[in-house]
Amino acid sequence: MEKSLPGHFEGKEALDHVIEARQKGKEASEEMHGTELPGHYCAAADAAKETAFLLVALWILFHEFNIPLSLDHLFLIAFTSGWLIWKVGRSAILGWNRLERLHRLIEEERWEIEHHRSQEKEELKALYAAKGFEGKLLDEVTDVLMADDNRLLQVMLQEELGLQLESYEHPLKQAAGAAVGVIAAVGLIAIGLYFLPVWGPLACASIVIALAAGTSAHLEKNRPAPAVIWNLAVAALASGVAYFTAQLLLR
Amino acid sequence: MKTPFLFDEFFASGLEESISPFLTPKSRKWGKNLSLKSAIGAASCLLIAFTLSFINASLSAIFLSLVYFLVGAPALLATLNDIKNLEINIDVLMTLAAFLAVMIGSGLEGALLLVLFELSHGMEETVSRKARSAIHNLNNLSPKFAHVVADDGTLYEKSVREIAIGTHLIVKNGEIVPLDGQVLEGTSSVNLVHLTGESAPVVKKPGDPIPAGARNLESALIIEVNRTNADSTLSRIIQLIIQAQEAKPKLQRWLDRFGKKYATTIIGLTCLFAITLPFLFSIPYLGHEGGIYRALAFLIAASPCALIIATPTAYLSAISACAHKGILLKGGIVLDALASCRSIAFDKTGTLTTGELLCTAIDPLSSTTISIDDALAIAASLERQVVHPIATAIGKFAAQKGCPLIEIQQFKAIPGSGIEGIAQLPTGPIPVFIGSPDYLHLKNSQSIQGQVLAALSVGADRFLFRFSDQIRSTTPALIRQMKETHGIHSVMLTGDNPFNAQNIGALAGIEEIYAGLKPEDKLDHVARLSEKGGLAMVGDGINDAPALARATVGISMGRIGSATAVDASDVVLLNDDLHLLSWLFTKSRKTKQIVKQNLTLALSVICLATIPSLLGWIPLWAAVILHEGGTVLVGLNSLRLLRR
Repeated sequence: MEKSLPGHFEGKEALDHVIEARQKGKEASEEMHGTELPGHYCAAADAAKETAFLLVALWILFHEFNIPLSLDHLFLIAFTSGWLIWKVGRSAILGWNRLERLHRLIEEERWEIEHHRSQEKEELKALYAAKGFEGKLLDEVTDVLMADDNRLLQVMLQEELGLQLESYEHPLKQAAGAAVGVIAAVGLIAIGLYFLPVWGPLACASIVIALAAGTSAHLEKNRPAPAVIWNLAVAALASGVAYFTAQLLLR
Repeated sequence: MKTPFLFDEFFASGLEESISPFLTPKSRKWGKNLSLKSAIGAASCLLIAFTLSFINASLSAIFLSLVYFLVGAPALLATLNDIKNLEINIDVLMTLAAFLAVMIGSGLEGALLLVLFELSHGMEETVSRKARSAIHNLNNLSPKFAHVVADDGTLYEKSVREIAIGTHLIVKNGEIVPLDGQVLEGTSSVNLVHLTGESAPVVKKPGDPIPAGARNLESALIIEVNRTNADSTLSRIIQLIIQAQEAKPKLQRWLDRFGKKYATTIIGLTCLFAITLPFLFSIPYLGHEGGIYRALAFLIAASPCALIIATPTAYLSAISACAHKGILLKGGIVLDALASCRSIAFDKTGTLTTGELLCTAIDPLSSTTISIDDALAIAASLERQVVHPIATAIGKFAAQKGCPLIEIQQFKAIPGSGIEGIAQLPTGPIPVFIGSPDYLHLKNSQSIQGQVLAALSVGADRFLFRFSDQIRSTTPALIRQMKETHGIHSVMLTGDNPFNAQNIGALAGIEEIYAGLKPEDKLDHVARLSEKGGLAMVGDGINDAPALARATVGISMGRIGSATAVDASDVVLLNDDLHLLSWLFTKSRKTKQIVKQNLTLALSVICLATIPSLLGWIPLWAAVILHEGGTVLVGLNSLRLLRR
């Protein structure tokens, strides 16, 4: 077997290199610098939760400081139109950031396959040895996988970097999900404000947060009940802290 | 494991997100033509903002903000990139003018500049996207792995890039030869149509060289590799295409050079006017009558709105008219190049001819009691068992003559030589054979230069079948018309032998003929002819691809043409209608004329709008109206090209 180049493994064993590469893949596939979850459903749920919290916090503060109710409605329209653009734009930017990172990784991996074939073969052997392949069978599996560059790249992306192909939504679709989330939350809270000005917004915001948290948990295959309760609890705590801090500082 | 994802197209597209392997197939459509979509969205917002500006300024401003977001942000990004590379061009001028327009309260005018600019960019990008995958199709043709025969006789798959010289490979029936080599075992016919453009199969027997890219038609061959993947015939063709594309004269360069000079001059003059006008005219620096305001007005009035749309609108109108005629143009600049062509070169097989073999004669080689029709019936009955260009030609000829088929028993294929069997004639069963004349040791057949031949034996009787390529019925009229109407000199460049080339050339009326050319020879001729005064090259095969890419304009046939030829060319005749070439030349010359008119008009309008506004003779709004009026005139002039 050809000796490993220091530039590729950087003094590490093939399997250690694979573990490090997996971490790299994991980071590339996540929304690192934002709160949005990948996917249009998750983006919608996330945007709905944030919108509901912000609106209810603003509504509480408005009431606390006796700002006239008519201003409430106008403020709601002005604020939510700006907020909508922010959430949609932010969601798309986060999606594009992730796509750019993934595309960079795939290019880097292709370069590795073209320029460090023997090291890639070692990694592949280490991966399949860890799966229980050995001896002639391991050599044959490695040879077959190395024979087709398309297949090899796919295997390395999935096995080495732990990435899944054809599983992410386009950033604009994700942004459209965020838009739906914001509009749905604003719509429901506006209905609450119109029909039950005293408790409506709070009740509707709770419904929005509970529904969004439950949907997210369901999509992520988590237990919905704890997700709903914890999200509501965090929202209540955050609103409460904002309310009492305002009381403390402004009165 | 699932079928491997094909990453080649993704990489060939420059990591195009609309085909990203990470996105779900359903969501990829969101990423298609984003630049054009955002330009159209911005244009709609601009129209709403303009309408609302008469009713509600705040609402108009919201839509105007959207315009600056959709088209301003990408323009700003491109401009910063240009500035980082120390490049001052039209993009920089446009972005500067558009954003400075906001500062002097002409946001709508600035937005219009950005929208027009992004629209022309978006349309150009959409039209030229198809041209980017030239190498992709050729790479698809080239096998990625080969079946290696190990020393112990076992077979295993190995990447072609890892196969060394001297390795033994097996190429099964129907497979493409993965690497150049020499036949060690087996005899079979191979089709070299991808490499030479000639559809007649060639027999390969032990000792014969065999190139990568040939398709094995009959029995399995064992070959010894004598060139690595990097040096294989197919890789060399790929290299030739890349080199040819890079060497291609870029007509866009003139416009780019002009744009850079223009932008630098205007930005320089703006700075100069901003500093000197207060001294020259005794006016203040600031305020609506100030030097800075006038300099900015000059910059906006000089922003080349009409210039920007002068060429794309003309080209897009012409492209649209061509599309209605079944001609696909990969970018408008092709029309400009076509108008400059003084010669046209044709590939022979599949271009001047139909590419299908035609049975032209059946000659008995001795006195015989078997009639020609009976010989044809026997040949057709034998050949109906196989798929082969010669078999197809015999089958068609027999069907035309109405020859009944005869029962053949004990049918047997002799790889690389032909087929034999026992024909059940009314006189009794008789052994028959059809195939290579060499197999029957027909010495007199060797003197017939360059013709495609097949020999039939019926017992002791021998017949020789002759085949030739069919010239397209429209070819002679086209060549005549090109000469008489457009003064275009015609050339034939073919990989076929000189005998066939001369025959077809004489029938078509071609003035200059070059035969027996390899892809690199074709490329040399095309390079020489292109430099002499512009050359349009018409071809259909992969072997034509480098020449198509190198020619001033490459024209391919959409139906019969190989995907690589189509990709490497600039013009595709979707219905293979060669007679449309004359119409296309007329259209290209008309387009060039209209582009010249547009450029003159646009530059005149800029002069008329800038100087009076600089001197303060006309207000900014009047300068803008003059400016936009010129833009509309240029647009309307371009629309004349839509006429078919």
